[in-house]
Amino acid sequence: MSTTVHGAHMAACTQLVKVVAYEKDLKVDVIGFDFAGAEHKSAAWLEIQPFGQIPYLEEDDFKLYESRAIARYLATKYAEQGVKLLPDPKDLKAMALADQSMSVEMSNFYPYVSGIAYQAVFMPRFGKETDQVALEKHRSDLKGKIDGFERIFAKQDYLGGKSIGLADLYCLPYGTMAEKVFPELFNDPAKPNFARWWKAVSTRPTWKRVLEESN
Amino acid sequence: MSESQSILKLYGTDRSTCCQRVKVVAYEKELDLSLEAVDMMGKEHKQDAYLAKQPFGQIPYLDDNGFTLFQSRAICRYIAMKYPNQGTKLLPDASDIKAVSIFEQAINIEQADFDPNASGLTMQKLFLPKRGGKTDEEQLKKHVDGLRMKLDGFERILSKQKYLSGDEISLADLFALPYGTKVEICYPDFFHDSSRPNVRRWWDAISNRQSWKRVLVEAE
Repeated sequence: MSTTVHGAHMAACTQLVKVVAYEKDLKVDVIGFDFAGAEHKSAAWLEIQPFGQIPYLEEDDFKLYESRAIARYLATKYAEQGVKLLPDPKDLKAMALADQSMSVEMSNFYPYVSGIAYQAVFMPRFGKETDQVALEKHRSDLKGKIDGFERIFAKQDYLGGKSIGLADLYCLPYGTMAEKVFPELFNDPAKPNFARWWKAVSTRPTWKRVLEESN
Repeated sequence: MSESQSILKLYGTDRSTCCQRVKVVAYEKELDLSLEAVDMMGKEHKQDAYLAKQPFGQIPYLDDNGFTLFQSRAICRYIAMKYPNQGTKLLPDASDIKAVSIFEQAINIEQADFDPNASGLTMQKLFLPKRGGKTDEEQLKKHVDGLRMKLDGFERILSKQKYLSGDEISLADLFALPYGTKVEICYPDFFHDSSRPNVRRWWDAISNRQSWKRVLVEAE
């Protein structure tokens, strides 16, 4: 089964969709766009993705944007194949814990790892200077949040419970970039449960494949 | 409340934005919430007993008859799912996968394209000075400019439909209320810019709902 995504192999949000698709045994056709020509800011693009961002999914006439919404759509539509990434929608408490884990990723992990990536990776890439004060604040904030993650992983293997779920995969794209900048945060002997979880998720073959395809 | 309702205990405060998010959804669903005060000044939320329930030391968390849940948006989704047949319909029909996906898209729009700048702006302009800190004017400008740009995207969406996920209100619209209201306190005409008439229409519709007015009265 194949799905079409407009985006770029090396872009974090496209990587998020790809890793989830691969866990669900799906093929992904990534259709590129003219970044230099600002195609993603054109009127035609804004009709589909009103914030001028990538990626968006295209399935016949159906178009969907926001990488986590696309990922959740694929996990729901292809629930019966590949790795189980969402609980049974009729299991109210299990769904609530899954939603809790996805919200944890978005408020307690994503702002800090994406902030680190923005300052330490993207700013230099665009020929601008890293704001060292901002970078240090993101690092320090992330370190504080890892204390919370350590408490979670002392009791369970993954963000939502015993098994891997969407939330764990959502951590990969910017988490991997942040790890390159501050590896000691992801492999800290004082935070062994967080380190164990990160190793388990980041060494999954699907993620390795996404990284290879990003080069 | 209609269906027999277990006592929903919300641990937090009436003034906290994240608690207000849960309260407005509970009121839309015609539910009673028992607010259990957390002693923020006394750092109750940083003690081990609290951290066992909410590992990041934040408010709120919900206790529904022994089932505990944290993250305000997850709590809101849980109560909307648990009580689908009373109050306002806030979720799409679970069997309609496309409607569910458009709803998830709207949920993400609020959390990724509204919340970061709205909460960042609020932190710089309102919360930091209140706590004896100093506004970082550069950061504030980034959030103000950033939110304006994102609202251009909202304008495109809302020119075609009444609410973020379609022509009916959903959780996604309500999630924007707490920080949107703070933005409006800081900049009274932020959502009334003449270049974004649909944002204005949408903001006026959601911020004037009875449920939200009740939340604000309780925060006084």
